[in-house]
Amino acid sequence: MTEPVLALRELTKRFGTKLAVDRLSLDVPHGTMFGLLGPNGAGKTTTLSMATGLLRPDAGTAIVDGADVWADPPAAKAHMGVLPDGVRMFDRLSGAELLRYHGLLRGMPERDVTARADELLAALGLAEAGSTLVVDYSAGMRKKIGLACALIHAPRLLLLDEPFEAVDPISGETIREILRGFVASGGTVVLSSHVMELVESLCDRVAIIAQGRMLATGTLDEVRQGQSLQRRFLDLVGTHALGAESLSWLRSS
Amino acid sequence: MAALLVGLRLRQLGRALLRSPWAIVTMVLGAVGALGLLSLLALAVTGMRAALPDAVPDALVLLGSALVVGWAVGAVLTSTDATLAPERFALLPVPARRLLPGVLLATALGVGGIATACALLLTLIGWSVAIAPLVAAMLVLPLQLLTCVLAGRAVAAVLARTLAGRRARDVVLVIGTVLLICAGLIAQGAIAALTALPDAGTAIGVLAEVLAWTPVGAAWGVPHAIASGSPLVALGQLAIALATAALLAWVWGRDFARRLTAPIVGGGGGRVRSGGWIDRMLPDSPVGAIAARGLRYRMRDPRHLVNVIGVVLLPLILVATNLLVGGDALQAGADDGGAGGMPALLPALAGLVLMSVAQLDTAYDGSALSAHVLAGVSGTTDRAGRALGIAVLYTPLLLLVCVGTIAVMGRWDLLPASLGATLGTAALVVGLGSAISVWMPGQTPAPEQSPFGRGSSGGAQALLGALLMVVAVWTVGLPVLGTAFAAMWLPWLGWVSLGLALGIGALSVWLGIRIGGRALERRWPEVLEQVSREP
Repeated sequence: MTEPVLALRELTKRFGTKLAVDRLSLDVPHGTMFGLLGPNGAGKTTTLSMATGLLRPDAGTAIVDGADVWADPPAAKAHMGVLPDGVRMFDRLSGAELLRYHGLLRGMPERDVTARADELLAALGLAEAGSTLVVDYSAGMRKKIGLACALIHAPRLLLLDEPFEAVDPISGETIREILRGFVASGGTVVLSSHVMELVESLCDRVAIIAQGRMLATGTLDEVRQGQSLQRRFLDLVGTHALGAESLSWLRSS
Repeated sequence: MAALLVGLRLRQLGRALLRSPWAIVTMVLGAVGALGLLSLLALAVTGMRAALPDAVPDALVLLGSALVVGWAVGAVLTSTDATLAPERFALLPVPARRLLPGVLLATALGVGGIATACALLLTLIGWSVAIAPLVAAMLVLPLQLLTCVLAGRAVAAVLARTLAGRRARDVVLVIGTVLLICAGLIAQGAIAALTALPDAGTAIGVLAEVLAWTPVGAAWGVPHAIASGSPLVALGQLAIALATAALLAWVWGRDFARRLTAPIVGGGGGRVRSGGWIDRMLPDSPVGAIAARGLRYRMRDPRHLVNVIGVVLLPLILVATNLLVGGDALQAGADDGGAGGMPALLPALAGLVLMSVAQLDTAYDGSALSAHVLAGVSGTTDRAGRALGIAVLYTPLLLLVCVGTIAVMGRWDLLPASLGATLGTAALVVGLGSAISVWMPGQTPAPEQSPFGRGSSGGAQALLGALLMVVAVWTVGLPVLGTAFAAMWLPWLGWVSLGLALGIGALSVWLGIRIGGRALERRWPEVLEQVSREP
């Protein structure tokens, strides 16, 4: 196997007394569609934030394409496209203006930005909404414009936090097609999701994390061990079994 | 239910305070400011009671009417604060009439409500001119407070559906800003007009008599009438006050009940013009893109627009006030030179507004700033882009203000001094703000929140930053301001001032971008974390 495109080493982050990410290491090889799974509060977003330069880790390193995200940010960020979750966008710009802004921030020439922006808007079904302010977009449209912003500079590594959340089935299929094509041409995708079926159908490698620790990582089949991903996930993370008596008042008769 | 809602409100306020030590500092400063205003009121009331006991009731009716109008206007300006919006309760199986008392009480428990209650208690000093009006005032005090709070709620209720659209909200905020900034001028104009009347005391008396019969002043008319010994009038005005409160409560309650079943959904603003000229004017580089984005935001985001209006209006209003009050002095100054040319330097006060523009620019972005971090934008690029955006918009505006002021004064020989003082102060402040904000980004209202809502003062960090900038203006900027001032007597010194302003200003901006940029390069995640926190 060649050198991984994304390598996390012993990443650690503590918020107050809570250890959000605990010495987490992870390798993502070239040309893979990588699924990051974990229950709510597992540390997925925190991990992705530390891998993309948004949140300084307490310890550990994140290497993208051989460049340390925290020692040489410009080199590491140049080939990375990121769709963060739960952060605002410059939403008083229209969709087209926002795309242009992201392109120019990346130092792209104006001509390329304009051409690619039109293509992206058309591909994601946002052409009509190109001159509407992003603040007036629906949740799904925001996800799509965010994805377009992550794609505009043709990165080699995509880090997507919950890219399918609130996206309608038609756009979801479009996004899947875009991502498959991207990986087929040698790109690498890391995405987080809560939908096991989606990860099973889309990803070739997965990692399961809970309470900031890596529980399992490898190819889809290695992690599944012959079970469904859902079953395996529950076995690893541990289900919260309901006692026979709990919530008995909820049963209507 | 009432206790539950009040508890909820108190907990919300408490949580907001305990989030960071800066929030506590901000609260203490806010409390000191409110106490200052209240003690000013106490002084005025006590002084008036001692010197002009007969005029006190009239003045208090005017004060009360102003309070009611203030609540109504305030309700519109803060209409985006949805903490106690009826929609929040729409899913609960509780009828409106059980919610209303609690919601009303919780609304009164804000800073405004507490300050109003204190102000009303202070007016009792004024009513104590005699026993009877004092007793009457104590009895109607709850009614007065209720009228204030209900006026705010009712106006907000009536306008709620109109204000649901984003564009309508933006327009209201802009109009509100203009009114707020002009409030001093309007008040001054009104006072000037009153005092210009042959008998000012009589005029105020007549105004109070009239207001006492209207819904806004009736609750204060009751003790007013008692003080002048007419119980029948007092009774009539009490009836009006009670009817007003009942009507306001009915309007608010009806809207509240309706919104429980037909919630208002915020609307959008439609399409926008592309404004391609902005992009063509600026270079298509990261710096140019950040500047262009800044320009678009200054037109589209009410929080920025408010500052743009402020920069233009503040100096113009001061000049106008100067003309209104000291028109003769100005004329004299124009004739014999000397300190009478001072208004020429007033545009430099736009620097006061620019302080917060420059320092809080990063904070206004909120967590959207992450786009810059993810794209690997260098700190210097970020600082330079912001400074360019500010310069491109504000330089022509400041030039216009200076030229306008000089044209009104007719003292064209002072134009270089005016330009020197104004541009020098502005550039100095912008440079300093670019650097300071990396360590103290300050706090702004979240996007979509009212520019007058929580956090609009910028918080303690902004206050400290402003203090630093004022000190810098009076030390580093002294050569510029000194020569500009001396130009009153020796007009050629104005050119020296302008030259110094351009030199010192350029140096300040360059250093601000360099120092701020380098520091930002090291502190990106920390700055992002600070500005992502929302008040």
